[in-house]
Amino acid sequence: MQQSIWQGIKLVFRKELVAGLRFKAAWAAMLMFALTTLACVSMAMQGGMLEPRLLAALLWIILFFASLAGADRVFADEDTVGTLLALRIYGRSQAVLMGKMLYTFFLMVVLATFITPLFVLLLDVTVTVPGLLVGVLLLGCGGIAAAGTLVAALTTGANIHSSLFSILMLPVILPVFLPAISLSAASFGGGEGAISYLAGMGLYDLILVVGASLLFDYLWYED
Amino acid sequence: MNLKQGNVLLAAIGSLTLVLLYLVFWVVPPAQGLGNYVRIAFFHIPLAWVSVLAFFMSAGWGAGYLRRRELRFDALSAASAKLGLIFVVLATVSGAIFSKLTWGAYWNWDPRQTTIFVLLLIYGAYLTLRAAMPEPNRRARVSAVYALFSFLTVPFLVFVIPRLFFSLHPSPVINGSGSLAMEPVMFMTLMVGLLDATLVYVWLVQKRISRENREAAA
Repeated sequence: MQQSIWQGIKLVFRKELVAGLRFKAAWAAMLMFALTTLACVSMAMQGGMLEPRLLAALLWIILFFASLAGADRVFADEDTVGTLLALRIYGRSQAVLMGKMLYTFFLMVVLATFITPLFVLLLDVTVTVPGLLVGVLLLGCGGIAAAGTLVAALTTGANIHSSLFSILMLPVILPVFLPAISLSAASFGGGEGAISYLAGMGLYDLILVVGASLLFDYLWYED
Repeated sequence: MNLKQGNVLLAAIGSLTLVLLYLVFWVVPPAQGLGNYVRIAFFHIPLAWVSVLAFFMSAGWGAGYLRRRELRFDALSAASAKLGLIFVVLATVSGAIFSKLTWGAYWNWDPRQTTIFVLLLIYGAYLTLRAAMPEPNRRARVSAVYALFSFLTVPFLVFVIPRLFFSLHPSPVINGSGSLAMEPVMFMTLMVGLLDATLVYVWLVQKRISRENREAAA
């Protein structure tokens, strides 16, 4: 049965969500990884005050590495259980990519919503511009989701899958990572955050989505 | 590459290298503010240029593979990336030495240092990805996709990073107004260096491909 691309995206997203909720270990691993890292940092600081830029860097390091524990599984799990072929036969490539990207974005937003208030609480952070922080977190999550979905597709079938994912992700995500740190520092009262950085992050997110969309077909359709 | 072509290229590289060494150590005067340290730049800039060129070529040959599905494009892309990694390491080391001599620190995350470091990470990631993929066709496909995907960082590295961080690095040779910010003799020496390094890159890519072809035929 032929379906529209939107229907396809919706179906893939729902499938990912149901599978994710059924297999709770992946969610738990990601959230616990973030919590453990944050607890380590907080315990090490013993209530000491940190500079806004250092706080921002810590927040993004936690988010980035915790995301690796969840985002790398979107294709690998299907490959392991053998459902990738069925998806290849019945799903349109772009619907699969966008559905999985949307799910990864949702995963990242849940992660950021979980860890950021705890981060603020445990490290006694004063958020002077909350709107800016929310904007940066959303755009950062968008960038990680866009790059992470394509990189996850690339690493499927590799023999060192998990470590490979982080190696491939970092250079591609740095253009999101560095402005995100600058802007988060600004939202913690560390200087002014140029709105152009925010626009730049949005633009780069868009470039990643379009780039992933153009390249995904080469991965999805075998020779 | 046949033997005659290879020898001609090698002779050209040898001659250019001798001319370059003569120009750098006997003709180029000490630069204002940099003194004799400026001589390092005539090796560092060509190394950095080839690092970027090899990245462009690797992505280009990757695109060639995706369009034509011929493994020779993948071999060229991989050869270019392997050489690119060597050149980017040499550019990073020579840049760090120059940085220590002129600014007092080997590394300070200057925008240009950040750019070259990201390039180093991309090369490393690309070659690790290849090493982790045992099946040749899948390896060629994923490597080409990654080379092109990582290419998306180029506008950021060139236009955004320099605005994000303060830089001590000298201005580009041809500045924003389009005028030449270098003495003619230095500019000529730099051009010789760039041509020499480019030819070395071409020769090494051809040599690597010839060797792989011989191994495949054996």
